[in-house]
Amino acid sequence: MASIDLDKMLTKIKSTQWALSDIDWDAPGADLITDEQWPKLKEFMADLMWIEHVGARAFAALAKKAPDDTLRQIYTYFHAEEQRHANAEMALMKRWGMLDGDEIPEPNINLRIVIEWLDRFADEMPLYVLGTVVPMLEIALDGALCTFLLDTVKDPVCHQAFERINDDESRHLGVGFTVMEMQGRGKTFIGATKMLAPLMDPRLILGIASYAPLLNKMRDNVIAMGLPEEKLYKAMKKFERIGGRTEDGRRNPWFQIIKYHGRFVTNRSQRAYHVPVDGLVKLTNMVPRRALPAVPSWVKELTWQPTATH
Amino acid sequence: MTESTAKKKPAPRKAATRKRATAAKKAAAKRKPARNTQPVKPVSVLIVGAGFAGLGMAIRLKQAGIDDFVILERASAVGGTWRDNQYPGAACDIPSNLYSYSFAPNPDWSRSFSGSEEILGYIHHLVAEFDLEKHIRFEKNVADLSFDEKSGVWTATTDKKETFAGRAAIMAQGPLSNCSFPAITGIDDFQGHKIHSARWDHDYDFRGKRVAVIGTGASGIQIIPELVKTAGHVKVFQRTPGWVLPRPDFATPAWNKALFRKLPASQQAMRNLLYWTHESMALAVIWNSPLTRIAERVARLHLRRQVKDRWLRRQLTPDFTIGCKRVLVSNDYYPALQKDNAKLITWPIARISEKGVRTVEGIEHQVDCIVFATGFDVSHSGTPFPVKGRGGRVLGDEWQGGAQAYKSINVSGYPNLFMTFGPNSGPGHNSALVYMESQLDYAVKGIEKILKDDLKMLDVKEGVQRRHNKAIQKRLARTNWNSGCKSWYLTEDGFNATMYPGFATQYAAQMAEFEERDYETV
Repeated sequence: MASIDLDKMLTKIKSTQWALSDIDWDAPGADLITDEQWPKLKEFMADLMWIEHVGARAFAALAKKAPDDTLRQIYTYFHAEEQRHANAEMALMKRWGMLDGDEIPEPNINLRIVIEWLDRFADEMPLYVLGTVVPMLEIALDGALCTFLLDTVKDPVCHQAFERINDDESRHLGVGFTVMEMQGRGKTFIGATKMLAPLMDPRLILGIASYAPLLNKMRDNVIAMGLPEEKLYKAMKKFERIGGRTEDGRRNPWFQIIKYHGRFVTNRSQRAYHVPVDGLVKLTNMVPRRALPAVPSWVKELTWQPTATH
Repeated sequence: MTESTAKKKPAPRKAATRKRATAAKKAAAKRKPARNTQPVKPVSVLIVGAGFAGLGMAIRLKQAGIDDFVILERASAVGGTWRDNQYPGAACDIPSNLYSYSFAPNPDWSRSFSGSEEILGYIHHLVAEFDLEKHIRFEKNVADLSFDEKSGVWTATTDKKETFAGRAAIMAQGPLSNCSFPAITGIDDFQGHKIHSARWDHDYDFRGKRVAVIGTGASGIQIIPELVKTAGHVKVFQRTPGWVLPRPDFATPAWNKALFRKLPASQQAMRNLLYWTHESMALAVIWNSPLTRIAERVARLHLRRQVKDRWLRRQLTPDFTIGCKRVLVSNDYYPALQKDNAKLITWPIARISEKGVRTVEGIEHQVDCIVFATGFDVSHSGTPFPVKGRGGRVLGDEWQGGAQAYKSINVSGYPNLFMTFGPNSGPGHNSALVYMESQLDYAVKGIEKILKDDLKMLDVKEGVQRRHNKAIQKRLARTNWNSGCKSWYLTEDGFNATMYPGFATQYAAQMAEFEERDYETV
């Protein structure tokens, strides 16, 4: 994946839009979900949908930080596209009878904490922090989870929806890696050190404290679905492979941080990492939901309905 | 000699031409009023447009003792922008005591910021007060304006091939006079009703209707609060939020009107106060200064006070320096967006479909009517009709890389032609009419020179114009308009052919002097 021309990419994004109404959500095939699959899939889809939504919010923050108008527009589109993915995944859940009326599924507690962090601090983060974390999240959680889903679910409508979602995601990743390389281009030691300064920012430390358990939690969910966790790790290694492909990419210190973090995550024998992080997952599971503030209003924008008549 | 007298006595040469015409053509010519088909002895001044600019020009010419002029108006009524923009809530965003001519004060403005109907009433009042109706030729849509070097005459040809001639010509067609639906994919597929803010459909009943409003600029934020009062549901599609300042709008008390009537100096004093208050705004709006931060803070406080939800506030917070785009003023826009029957949508529009607006989050927002508050077709690089100068040169061609003029009013190679709101004359902080007055008086000086010295050509020197523009562009580079946002002030390439980089007082000083040495005279 070579660096891409962002102007051409923006034109392509604008010309390849799709809507929920392009898919026939009542087409046959919903019954291909087995009774055994159904409860696990319900939980998995709810998490996946929320990850898309979290990604959407991160792109909204990136749009605010974009260095030029083209990238700002691209991120604005990606924000909306991630929301579209969440909406489409909700539409699948509706199709499979996993929604309780018009109810939006509850996010798991780790996601809930990440949502809270994004809402409060994401807009304050520099481009290079979110610009590196987001591709990792996309590759590990979004991209990988989508692939796993297609391996296990036979419903053709699900395949139809994810074909479109994956097309979008490949563009998101293409832009993500290009921006990472842009950020690393010509960086001197001092420049790179400056990029690391936010590590001392307590807001970012809080962010790390919510990001790390989220990855471990998702690993647990993948295993619960009966999927090999190696597939998740393989996807995460893709981040290291593509992001480190060029010298510019490797010179981006945030790429290095996320890369090493990825190595910790994928190496179960790293007890120094996994024991405390798994502990955090357990700890966060004990946080009573009512202790959290009300969900921000952007969360309420989700809908499974292809048309809004009011 | 007035133009109407001239028409009754066609030139002998043209009469001979007519004799040579075919019988059919003769019959056709007879059916039309004589003045529509025959060339005329040029009047002193030909004015294109009967809006604020054209009528103001006419008044100043009259006051200078020049009565021999004709105004060509494409519509059947005067008023220009204010005739066309009669959408609900339409109003000026500069106080009326400043958004009016100082040479025609109106003591009876009903509000501090008057609505479009009242402004149009003021324009009609100008026509009656200064007896301008007899000069106006309605439904004359100029399609070509050409200069003849030999005779030193401008000829305007309408779309119906009528011709009008003048020794000097004023292009007062207005920068905001043309509009069209935006080029959004699928716009023609929409089966519901479409309305453009500048061509309002007063017969459409909004009661109970689901309405989409596209655009949240100066027109949009005035229309939305009114629509929310009547429509069933209003969805507002926003691309870029603008900075919104509070609007100190109030009804004028009766005693105030009485005072202005009895003591005109008090109204002039009020105008001066408003003028200087707005002048000080230049420091915040035109250049990036500590006052810019204060203005942004005021706008943020206004938003915070009116919008409690953090995400909605974020959606409504601009990410460009205040002044880079037009500053908006409203007290009721933010509250309107939060009504139960209103919703702000910031997802990009993917396309318009048969039933509504599809946004990138994948949802089709179905509506009965789409209101396009998408502004005007502002030309930075062309002219509304072909303008041909010396040696057949075409102004639109010369302006392809961005419009340029001398002091915004004359263009080298186009003698005896004056423009109102020409290149680099736009204000960002003060009343457009203040700038207009400077332009009108400058044009009067030029026209007086042409008539007094019986000149065929008064043509600004090319080098003078070039130096002027170099200085203007240098100054513009330091302004907020050129600070990186996209706006209608700039061409696609980021060239600013619209705004004047300075105080209104500076602009007035620039226009106060008519330097004969800057012009070539023949």
